[in-house]
Amino acid sequence: MAKYGMLIDSTLCIGCRGCSVACKQWNDLPATKTRNTGTYQNPPALSAYTWTNIEYREVEASDRLVWAFLKRACMHCEHPACVSVCPVQALHKLETGPVVYEANRCIGCRYCMMACPFGIPKVDLNQVLPVISKCNFCADRVSNGLPPACAKTCPPGAIRFGERDQLVVEAEARIAKNPGKYVNHVYGKEEVGGTSILYLSAIPFDQLGLPDVGTESVPALSDAMAVVGTPTALVTVAAALMGAFWVSRRRVELASQQQTADLFSRRRAELADQQQTADQEKEAKQ
Amino acid sequence: MTVKTLTKESIPIAYPILGAIALFGAALAIVRLTQGLGPTTNLSNYNPWGLWITFDLSIIPLSGGAFTLAGVVYILNRKDYRSIAHLALLAGYLGYIMAVLVLLLDINRWDQFYSVILPWRWNLHSFMFEVSLSITLYFGVMTLELVPIVFGRRNWRVVRAIDQFVPLIAGVGVLLSTIHQGSLGGLFLVMSRKLHPLWWSPIIHLFFFISAVIGGLSAAVLIAILSWRALHKRVPIWLLSVLAKVVATVMALYLVLKLGDLLVAGKLGLVFGSGVYSLLYLVELSVGVLVPLAIFASRARDTEKGLLAGATCAVVGLLLNRAAITWLALRVTPGVTYFPSWIEISISISAICAGVLIFALGLHYLPTVRASVEEGR
Repeated sequence: MAKYGMLIDSTLCIGCRGCSVACKQWNDLPATKTRNTGTYQNPPALSAYTWTNIEYREVEASDRLVWAFLKRACMHCEHPACVSVCPVQALHKLETGPVVYEANRCIGCRYCMMACPFGIPKVDLNQVLPVISKCNFCADRVSNGLPPACAKTCPPGAIRFGERDQLVVEAEARIAKNPGKYVNHVYGKEEVGGTSILYLSAIPFDQLGLPDVGTESVPALSDAMAVVGTPTALVTVAAALMGAFWVSRRRVELASQQQTADLFSRRRAELADQQQTADQEKEAKQ
Repeated sequence: MTVKTLTKESIPIAYPILGAIALFGAALAIVRLTQGLGPTTNLSNYNPWGLWITFDLSIIPLSGGAFTLAGVVYILNRKDYRSIAHLALLAGYLGYIMAVLVLLLDINRWDQFYSVILPWRWNLHSFMFEVSLSITLYFGVMTLELVPIVFGRRNWRVVRAIDQFVPLIAGVGVLLSTIHQGSLGGLFLVMSRKLHPLWWSPIIHLFFFISAVIGGLSAAVLIAILSWRALHKRVPIWLLSVLAKVVATVMALYLVLKLGDLLVAGKLGLVFGSGVYSLLYLVELSVGVLVPLAIFASRARDTEKGLLAGATCAVVGLLLNRAAITWLALRVTPGVTYFPSWIEISISISAICAGVLIFALGLHYLPTVRASVEEGR
């Protein structure tokens, strides 16, 4: 099955927030009440009801201020930490790419939120029994051959939906074709072992708002320790316990045998003594 | 007999106070369950784990005396430690109950917690899964271990049946404890970029297990001394002193591993070069390891004062370590700090008060525990 992805060319983004609106419409997410904080960025951040959001930054580039727009949402990692750490398999990575969530299994430990390198899973703690929520790559649309709502709606065509491998080729071609336009890096190609969402940028990615997360899979170590380390520890400790139990039993057994042996030898000595006395008495009588 | 001791001491005043605090906590728990986490805690999308996680990750290792001493008595056949093991088991059981109750308040889908016992939902790749299932199973083990202690005087068939399999039960308990004490540390393996490098380590699960042995045994020594004092009996220094010696050995191992780990990772420079984190690390290491190691490795462990001081230091050190890892040295979102709400603090305190109250009542009213303490000298 094809593995899908999205290529987000931040140089084409005009910050219209159409993606955010389309996302809310397709996923039946309510609007949230926000306050004017002196920026165009609104809603201010991702939340349980805002799965994708445009972050507005003014950045200095070639002696003038330019807008930098970051479409933030779940990256749909190739090796998702949230999926690896969820105790009850409430999060899954689909073969087609999306990382999806099943609310009816969730125990609400919020470990996915702690593990995610991008701070994506959100929860509305004002609900009594809240669920985790995040972008699901419109898995329902994708599995029916449709692009995600955000990609479908994006007016300047900044979001390109397609097979991930082809998008990587496409992104690198865009960099090669436009010398000097882009930073020579496709964010997401190798970040945390690869993500389904890929970014192109004209300014360094940390200025765009994407963190340096390294190229190692985030859950690799924890995963290996849980799958290999735990059973090894179990077997080792079990063997040590059985050994210790056997030794201590043997020690107690030996001690009691020694006691019995001592008792017997003492009794034998007594009997021998009695015999001797009896013999002596007999001799004396004779 | 029991009534006499109760009225003689100042404890009767403490009982209703502890009870009132515990009830207040229960009332706050109801508020939490009906209002949700948002209005009652300072948890947020930017700081999803708070004081209750710190509470759980401290109480569980401090209850580690239960599995270590059960191992000593039932596996290593050292029946002379039976009295201390009884106390540690009772305290540990209450510790786990409080930890799980607080955990159930902490998770936002406590109504679906049963997920962890459905095998088709298990995620064997997750340390959280190992922790949840292992603690749930260990509850059963501890209950079985406690039945002969609580009902030992009644010659019930169930009690005799359990008594027969106690070494096996204790062995399973040690196994389950090894798993979840270590796995609690394993939870942080994915957070190498969020937890300060002085604490994050690829063998953090091993550190959690070893420190649980240290903290658990030290807490057991403390509890034993306080229990014997409460019952006006002579504290069996010679038994506790041997435990202290064992703790000193484990501490030396812990120290070598900790420093070796920093050395191998090339992080020794951070010990003095990380500002306030260095201070926290050095305080934790001195209070939690160096000072108690010095006390427990010397003849000072043969005195009640020495034992009390060393064990207290070790327990405080463990608390500092868990507070650093779950809170002070953990930055989930850059620029976001967290301080618990008064409800989070009150519920944590009242859970401890409830545990202390039930333990004190158990010490006075459970004939086997009381007898084992009185004969245990």
